[in-house]
This record gives sequence, C-alpha cells and structure tokens, in this order.
Amino acid sequence: MKNEMRQKLAREPFAEKIRKVAQLLRLAKTFPRRAHGQPAARSGR
Amino acid sequence: MNPPADNLPLAAVLRAANGLVAAGLIEDWALGGALAAIYYVEPFTTYDADIFFIPKDKSLAAGIPAIYAHLQAQGWQAEREHLLLHGFPVQFLAAQGLTEEAVRAAERLDYEGVSAKVFRAEHIIAIAASVGRAKDKARIEQLQQQAEVDKTYLADVLLRHKLKLPTP
Repeated sequence: MKNEMRQKLAREPFAEKIRKVAQLLRLAKTFPRRAHGQPAARSGR
Repeated sequence: MNPPADNLPLAAVLRAANGLVAAGLIEDWALGGALAAIYYVEPFTTYDADIFFIPKDKSLAAGIPAIYAHLQAQGWQAEREHLLLHGFPVQFLAAQGLTEEAVRAAERLDYEGVSAKVFRAEHIIAIAASVGRAKDKARIEQLQQQAEVDKTYLADVLLRHKLKLPTP
C-alpha cells in the first residue's frame, strides 16, 4: 500500500479505525491465509 | 474466540473500565497495546484489547480476582488470561514502572461518548522497545512513520527507563 494511503488511514477518526479493525477480523476469519501477512492485517497486541 | 458481528464492543469495554474506578477496584487505567497503537497509526488486525490499570490493591494479585468477579457479575466470561465481552477478549494488566507512568501520562479521549485514556505514542514506543519482539520493532517503525512523536519526550522516557530504540 502506498505511504500516502497509509498516512491517510492513520489520520482517520479512531472510531472509524476501530470499525476497520472489525472488518479486518471478519476478513481474517473468512480468508485466514489471504489476510495473514498483509501489511494492513498484521496481528499485534 | 468469536470476533464481533459488525464492530468491536470497545465503548462497552471502556465504560466497564470506568466502572472499575467507580467501584473503587482500581485507581486509574488506560488503553494500551495494539488498540492504543491504532489510535495513532493505520488500522491492523488485533484480536484483543489491553487495559492497563493502576491497582488500588497493592498486593501481588493487584486486585485481579475482584476485577474478574466484578466483570463476571456483569456478564463477562473468563477465558484463560482474558475476559470476554460479547466474545471480544480483553486483558486487564496491572501497571508498574514504565506502564504505570504510561497510564498516568495517557491522553484523554472521547470514544463514542465514553471518556477514556490511551497511552501516548512515546510510551507505546518505549514499551515496545522494552519488549523487543519482531512485532514490537515493526510497531516502533510504524509509529515513527505515521504518528506525531515528540522526540524530546520520547528521549526522556527512554533515558529514564534505560531503554534504547532498536537499530533498523
């Protein structure tokens, strides 16, 4: 993903980012191998 | 563990943490871990929330049994080191040293009408430096690229806690 796009995502409101995390979790569950390892799908704590 | 249907129940988690303060079980708390990082950077997949709290009970157990009892009475479920709210795992971690400082210095935010606190980016970086796993190094790099990091503040935290940033 381009840096500009990543910066744009980083500047989104926190609530919107949390909604995207929930979407990523759904994708990871549906496509576990695809979602894993992509930059926007890194797991973390 | 079941991810929530359409959104993470984060507002309810934060409200519950405020409830622990109101019940006199903890002194203060802040959101840490991956969700705190996401406050500053692009969203990424994470499977739990980390709530760091300053215990009122200074014993070794840090009041965790009472916290579990309080939240289980409200319908939360215990699963190993997590408490689950609507299937979403939350870990309550007693803060000490660097993490206690991070709680005390945390930024205030309003999340869907709930008053909350989130670790400063500089403390997230310092904590990641203290842990030092590969994903912590990636988090440091991501925060340095995407967050507004106060370099003077970060240098002070790192110096006081005898930490160094990993070399690229």
